[in-house]
Amino acid sequence: MPYRFDWTPIWANRDLILDGLLMTIALSALGLCLALVVGVVVGTAGSSQRRALRACAAAYVEVMRNVPLLVHMYFWYVGLAFLRLPPFACAVAALTLYSGAYVAEAVRSGLGAVPRGQHLAALASGLTPRQSLFYVVYPQALRIITPSLASLFSQLIKDSSLASVIAVAELTYQASAIEGQTFRTFEVYITISLLYLALVTVVTYGLLLVPGARDHPVQRLSDA
Amino acid sequence: MPEVILKNLPFLLAGLRVTVEIALLSIAGGTLLSLAIGVLRYLRVPLIAQSLDLYVVFIRGTPLLVVLFICYFGLPALFGYKTSAYWAAVGGFILFIGAYLAEDIRAGLRSVSPGLVQAALATGLTRASVLRLIVVPIAVRNVIPTLFNQYVRLFKFTSVASVIGVNEFTGSAMLVNGREFAPITIIGFVALTYFVLCLVISLVGRTIYARFAVRT
Repeated sequence: MPYRFDWTPIWANRDLILDGLLMTIALSALGLCLALVVGVVVGTAGSSQRRALRACAAAYVEVMRNVPLLVHMYFWYVGLAFLRLPPFACAVAALTLYSGAYVAEAVRSGLGAVPRGQHLAALASGLTPRQSLFYVVYPQALRIITPSLASLFSQLIKDSSLASVIAVAELTYQASAIEGQTFRTFEVYITISLLYLALVTVVTYGLLLVPGARDHPVQRLSDA
Repeated sequence: MPEVILKNLPFLLAGLRVTVEIALLSIAGGTLLSLAIGVLRYLRVPLIAQSLDLYVVFIRGTPLLVVLFICYFGLPALFGYKTSAYWAAVGGFILFIGAYLAEDIRAGLRSVSPGLVQAALATGLTRASVLRLIVVPIAVRNVIPTLFNQYVRLFKFTSVASVIGVNEFTGSAMLVNGREFAPITIIGFVALTYFVLCLVISLVGRTIYARFAVRT
């Protein structure tokens, strides 16, 4: 029996899909910001001079990265069930800690790519260590790692689909619900795939539009 | 080991076995698929290369869970065949990881210097043998670390198969938890097991790379 395409149920349920899309955007935007914070903190610790701090950062990264995201989600939702966290908070926590480890590795490599002379020169010109970090080192490091951040962020958006497993009503969850009611399996999943694809594309290219994201200040100086 | 784990160990190990099986099948299948895709895109075979580009973009923009849903619910409905969750998951993982591996393979193929290819052609090798004997081996050996990163990712992703009802490790553990309700212990055990196995995969990757890396 050949499959007959019927897209009307998708259009009829556009409200649900839109709700799901907004939830996915909220979930990934929140996860993204928090993962960036975690990543910068852990990444900075990972490239610190103190061995203990480096070891802690490395341990965090290894433990978080080598456990599946689904297990992270279950840990917050089922493991810590006595806390009665709402599913959304569980998903954000899991996404943040999991992706934070990846961001941390990117940040660490970015900090390593900024020549040490930059920091020393900033100190010599009278900036405090903190000012040197915030005004000289971080901006350069973040520019260097923008491409890898773009791919990490698009991964995070796609990973947010696992939140459907712990009953967060995001895009994949709504799609399953629509599928359950209408049996238009193929149409539903193709629709949400395209929505994810659009979201990922926007984020990836959007991040490259950040001023200065494409050029490489260190290289430009050394080329001159 | 805590008693809950010991008591359910045979069940959990059966799940772990399924996980390892799925992972190995998908790694093998995905690598072969990505080699084929990588080479076809590298040779810029008209039409085929463009459609493969489209496939890679589509898969890389889609969450794994959605790919699995499409393989388990969507494609069988579309083409009117029946499949088990297990094989749908394996197929989904191969299609999914194949797209990512294909990008890595392509990067490797591009890293082979044109001078080397020209020299090989000048010695009288056919295009096919240049590809088979020189370009592909060097490319693959160059990208061993990235390939193994993807394998680790895939290994973690196999946990998602539990969502479409495959009784692999995570799924079995959650079943055990449903009966015993010792979530911290059980999830801790699951996390630890994945952690150790992922480290093992990375270690294997590093050993292989140390042995086969192209030294110039």
